[in-house]
Amino acid sequence: MAGDADVKRRIKSVENTRQITRTMELVATSKLKKASDRVQAARPYADALQEIVGGLYSPALSEKYPILRRPKEVSRAAVVLLTANRGLCGGFNSNLIKQARNLMEDLRAQGIETELHIAGKKGVAYFRFRGEEITTEKVNVGDSPTVDDAEAIIAPVRERFENGQVDAVYLVSSKFKSAMSTPPHTRDLLPISGDENASSADVYILSPSGDMILERILPVYIRNAVYTALVENAAAEQGARRSAMKSATDNAGDVLEHLTRTYNRARQAQITQEIAEIVGGSAALE
Amino acid sequence: MASLHVRVVSPDRIVFEGEASAVVAPAWDGKVGILPGHAPMLSLIGSGELTLDRSGGGSEDFHVVGGVLKVERDMVTLLTEYAGDEPPKDAPDPEVVFVDQID
Repeated sequence: MAGDADVKRRIKSVENTRQITRTMELVATSKLKKASDRVQAARPYADALQEIVGGLYSPALSEKYPILRRPKEVSRAAVVLLTANRGLCGGFNSNLIKQARNLMEDLRAQGIETELHIAGKKGVAYFRFRGEEITTEKVNVGDSPTVDDAEAIIAPVRERFENGQVDAVYLVSSKFKSAMSTPPHTRDLLPISGDENASSADVYILSPSGDMILERILPVYIRNAVYTALVENAAAEQGARRSAMKSATDNAGDVLEHLTRTYNRARQAQITQEIAEIVGGSAALE
Repeated sequence: MASLHVRVVSPDRIVFEGEASAVVAPAWDGKVGILPGHAPMLSLIGSGELTLDRSGGGSEDFHVVGGVLKVERDMVTLLTEYAGDEPPKDAPDPEVVFVDQID
């Protein structure tokens, strides 16, 4: 009964797999809780910053600050892609990569050169395999991203924008709508799109001056956009992993049921056959 | 008595939210005091002690580093890079850096 032993071994192996996927699901669930708390905690700062920048922004300033410049023609754009460092999270990474690829194809179709800045091992591995040139990469962002991580990712990009080496910057990351819904999302990071008619700067006492405040606050604003995206991405990754591992656990259960049936049927058949042999044998003796 | 609604926010959390009767913040060029009824203001923050006088008496101190302060209709919002009980270790002094830039 070689078939028997085979099925038995497969049952064991699927059981082990289910054990592992279930554990990963639980781990992801607990990490997801922490990560989504971080998403919530990052919101007040981002909202308040948005309000201040929106209030101070005026188109006239764009002449003065390189970070506010609005190129008339975009000849080269930077795509900043945030992916996870690890896999086993369903379509999370491939969705992000696809989004970035579509964006780059669109840009190239318009005659715009593109360059890639990637954070996350999965994105780096994919584009390196495809032979795309990666301008900057960062693969050491952990489960709880920090402001310094965000700064390290965006600082070179910001510099390139200010120098005029790139004319637009897009940020591709996952939006964390809920644990179940984490669609990839493209955000126009630079040039900054201010709220043209929301200038409330007149009514404030500005110290030292509106320009000075903007000059200091804009880099922070850009960095914080990346920080928020990193935090949301981390939460989205855990959400995606939880869903993926949940369906893997369920699938393992289904496979297990099927295998157990096969095994029992084979065992039953064997017993029936043995009885038939005994009965046949004793009948022959009579 | 009128009071100020104060929020101290760093990138990853709300450090403080509550009522205060007076706020003394380390602005870019020296300390700035805010009482209820203050005119709307936006100011850059340097580095130093932020003191909040609680409405019920007593006060709270924080060490903040860099950022921007907004006052509007008795709402005080302080966005800062860092806020904590202790000055951060090994951080450059933004006040020094910033005062150099002003000239």
